Amino acid sequence: MSEFNPTILAFCCNWCSYAGADLAGVSRLQMPPNVHVIRVMCSAAVKPEYVFKALSQGIDGVLVLGCHIGDCHYMTGNHRTAKRFPLAQKILNDVGIDETRLKLDWVSAAEGEKFQQVITEFVGVIKKLGPNPLREVKF
Amino acid sequence: MNELGKKLCDIAFDKQKADYLLAMREESGNVAPVFISKGEDIGEANIDYPYQLVTILSRIYPWLNKGKIAIVARRCDEKALNETIKRGLFDGNRIAVIGLACSKEQIKKCRCNDPVPTKVDIGEPNNGVNTDELMNKLQRISPEERMDFWVRQFKKCNKCFACTTNCPVCFCEDCVLEERTFVAEKGIPPGLSFHMIRTFHLADKCIECGECERSCPVDIPLLTLRKMALKDIKDLYNFKPGDRETASPMLTTLEGELLEDDTHVC
Amino acid sequence: MSVKHVLTTCPYCGCGCNFYLQVVDNRLVGVVPCKTDEIGQGRLCIKGYNAYAFVQNPDRLTHPMVRDGHQLRKATWDEALDRIVSEIKKIVSKHGPDSVVVFASARCTNEENYLMQKFARAAIGTNNVDHCARLCHASTVAGLVYSFGSGAMTNSIPEFENADCILVTGSNTLETHPLIGARIVKALYSGAKVIVVDPRETPLSRLAQLSLHQKPGTDIAWIHGIANVIISEDLVDKEFVATKTKHFEELKKVVAEYTPEKVEKLTGIPKEKLMEVARVYAKSKKSMIAYAMGITQHSNGTAIVKSLANLSMLTGHIGKESTGVNPLRGQNNVQGACDAGSLPNFYPGYQLVANGDMKAKFEKAWGQTLSDKPGLTITEAIEKAATGEIKAVITFGENMMISDPDITHVEKALSNLEFFAVADIFPTETSKFAHVVLPAACYAEKDGTFTNTDRKVRRVRKAVDGPGEALPDWEIVCELGRRYGAQGFDFNSVSDIMDEFASVAPAYGGISFDRLEKEMLTWPCPSKDHAGTRILHVGGFKIGKGQFAPVSHEPPAEEPSEDYPMILTTGRNLFQYHTGTMTRRTPKLERESPEPYVEIHKADAKPLGVEDGDRVRISSRRGSITLAARVTDRITEGVIFVPFHYAEAAANMLTNPVLDPIAKIPELKVCAARVEKA
Repeated sequence: MSEFNPTILAFCCNWCSYAGADLAGVSRLQMPPNVHVIRVMCSAAVKPEYVFKALSQGIDGVLVLGCHIGDCHYMTGNHRTAKRFPLAQKILNDVGIDETRLKLDWVSAAEGEKFQQVITEFVGVIKKLGPNPLREVKF
Repeated sequence: MNELGKKLCDIAFDKQKADYLLAMREESGNVAPVFISKGEDIGEANIDYPYQLVTILSRIYPWLNKGKIAIVARRCDEKALNETIKRGLFDGNRIAVIGLACSKEQIKKCRCNDPVPTKVDIGEPNNGVNTDELMNKLQRISPEERMDFWVRQFKKCNKCFACTTNCPVCFCEDCVLEERTFVAEKGIPPGLSFHMIRTFHLADKCIECGECERSCPVDIPLLTLRKMALKDIKDLYNFKPGDRETASPMLTTLEGELLEDDTHVC
Repeated sequence: MSVKHVLTTCPYCGCGCNFYLQVVDNRLVGVVPCKTDEIGQGRLCIKGYNAYAFVQNPDRLTHPMVRDGHQLRKATWDEALDRIVSEIKKIVSKHGPDSVVVFASARCTNEENYLMQKFARAAIGTNNVDHCARLCHASTVAGLVYSFGSGAMTNSIPEFENADCILVTGSNTLETHPLIGARIVKALYSGAKVIVVDPRETPLSRLAQLSLHQKPGTDIAWIHGIANVIISEDLVDKEFVATKTKHFEELKKVVAEYTPEKVEKLTGIPKEKLMEVARVYAKSKKSMIAYAMGITQHSNGTAIVKSLANLSMLTGHIGKESTGVNPLRGQNNVQGACDAGSLPNFYPGYQLVANGDMKAKFEKAWGQTLSDKPGLTITEAIEKAATGEIKAVITFGENMMISDPDITHVEKALSNLEFFAVADIFPTETSKFAHVVLPAACYAEKDGTFTNTDRKVRRVRKAVDGPGEALPDWEIVCELGRRYGAQGFDFNSVSDIMDEFASVAPAYGGISFDRLEKEMLTWPCPSKDHAGTRILHVGGFKIGKGQFAPVSHEPPAEEPSEDYPMILTTGRNLFQYHTGTMTRRTPKLERESPEPYVEIHKADAKPLGVEDGDRVRISSRRGSITLAARVTDRITEGVIFVPFHYAEAAANMLTNPVLDPIAKIPELKVCAARVEKA
């Protein structure tokens, strides 16, 4: 059997995390290639709907990355994010989706290494979890 | 006019000084929602069938620019009014509540733990029940089994939108469930994301009236799903919807922040 | 300020759910399902919830129009009605009454249909009256009348919940009859065995324990295959067959040829599965059959219906609770329109026009001499209009330019008419050809009754005023009758019309508006003290004995060829309804299913280079249309499916107008077609 290669989405906020990802790239930090980065203006712009849709269509894991609390370009955006996603995780659990398939974290523009670390760890977690069972579910 | 009808009219028009009354009555061998003005005959009032009067009112209200409306409300309807008034759908000063205490059977059907209205005008107050058997079972079993259960349930869904159409606290003008961006599946059933999105959207305003479950043609246990999300938000933030005093909606506002006029969408 | 909640019956499918229309000052603001209604039980489908939205659409016809040269111009009611009467009279005096046809409508009430056929028969003097049942369940009426003596659903909708086994074929029940589908699902989830036989994977077949996919047009083969297994494995209800039926030996001889091996070759259904279905159906205590257009819309539709009836009689699954053969009628009042006599060979209540006694009875009732010559069906009338034998057509609420097979031919027929009048609620593709267009009131603007698929007579109540000068069809027909100089069109209310209808149709004998106000009535209800009949054929068949039909499988009229290698089948989806006149003006429905599409199997799409969403051109021997492809594995290979709702890519440009010899229903479900990338 070939090794499981998860498909992962990472929503990165424009002002911090995306710049962090950029820095990681420029610094030539090695990262697993499973992650598709989607650039958004703020982590608060990531509607949980996107996450639900992605997971229900068989994406193996979703990362939401924003500025550290206190550093939001829009003052309170990431406060809202921080409030929503724990609930979204619980709802995933309610319908039987492993809640660790959704992860929220903060990466600043200067944290290229943290970006690398978050990605590597998350890919490891998802690889351990195995493929999203919803891939096989046909409605 | 029967005894109940007389009582409802007395409370609405004499005590509460309302101009209109929204209740239910027998008509053509059925039980119908009825909206009367002061002075009109209500006929044979009947409160045995749980019509979702807050939803019914929400469609009439935009066309009524003045006058006070008395509405027969169970505890959950009362909470629904709180949530909707909080979000600016109704003017609280124009709504008067006629408190209806639910029967034991109804409480059992709704697995309701909060069945007594603030002021009981009609019916005898009964104790609530604290357990939802299905919810307990679902929390005991493994996530895999839980997913199997819900997938099997959601496979029945034929996208009638009864759960949103009849919901008293579902009022966005542009519903995300109607957008291809969020619910990608063509035709029916609409898949898991449809139900997860709705669960999330209702987590900070669902008042457990159970109308979604009652009006689901294929009997998906939606009230149980709602209750699970309510438990989640309680565990996380110690928040329970339905309270008028809580200034702003949990998920759309931050602590101390007021609701902006145009942000009652989630 | 006036706020009303008006109880009425849904204008869409044949389920006949009741709901309240919310009215604020003559404005429709919403729909509330009726919680005490036995059919809906406080539940509706998406079409039901949106049934208010099209009513007050600005496109509604608001005033009569007459043709001057190439233009339709505004006219008064007097002018429009007089024009119809004088043109019809002129044509009748020149070519005789049989040169005129009246198309009644399954969308109108029982009372209106009764008047429309009365107008054709008693005023004009022809039996040329028919309606859209011709395109859906004409073969059911013919087939089940032969087998059982009555052409309607034998059991009632609530009984689906309690069945042990439900065989669904040719019906996408969850989409086209959502509330019946919901009951089947309820039975399924509480342990009943559900069997779906359909060339497509439907939402219901995905849930069912047994899902079989036959090649379109091979229905008799698999049905006889089941009968073969039932007989060879000795699962026959011998007592029932011996005492209640006849022609068993003939059937036995015919089905002996349909061994599971042969059936597998003909239909593509694996023999093991066929045998399992036969066993489950025969051995279950309460087995129901439900079917719809997939069975009836074939050039041998009547024979297929009879062969389904064979199954129920072989196993004795009829005349009892949760059994029977249940045609699901597709329109709100297609059952009622048939009952009310909008059929060329039947007076109201299925009394044959060719029978002298019946004719005498109606001549006495209506005070007119009547014709004993059975009239033309819709499909035949279109044919004869094209050849010039039919000179004039009056149409109430039919949109033949979308709904009838081979639209190019329909267009030719309609253009060929000397006179063509249309009454409808919206301008349609058909009304473009009319010489006179009359604005009709829709279901929310008039009183009357609809008869739903399980024979329940349900009230329709006026909630709002019609737009502009629009009038209910019954008033239009009364006015036409009076102006024509005919007797018996002086009705002041629909209740009076129902009383007259009840007095001539025995099955409706006990039905009146007074009773309907208090109770739910299911015909047959012969007298005022009769409670109605939910289950037909209890204790035996009224015609004496049920008849087995030794029919044989014949291939469909058009089989795939080198030029047209695919089989095209057509149908409905959940969100749109028929020709879309109403649903396409309902924003929430149109948004769910806004454009025409063709479902095509992955394996068929690949060699054509067609991917999901690509534009493709589909051609048949009659025409071609261009639309988007939905590449899927939910359809049998070699078969394509197109919903017929969309005028911009009308499936009926392609369909084959070949007719069933008995019921004259066209073969809308099978024709040969070709797919190309557009």
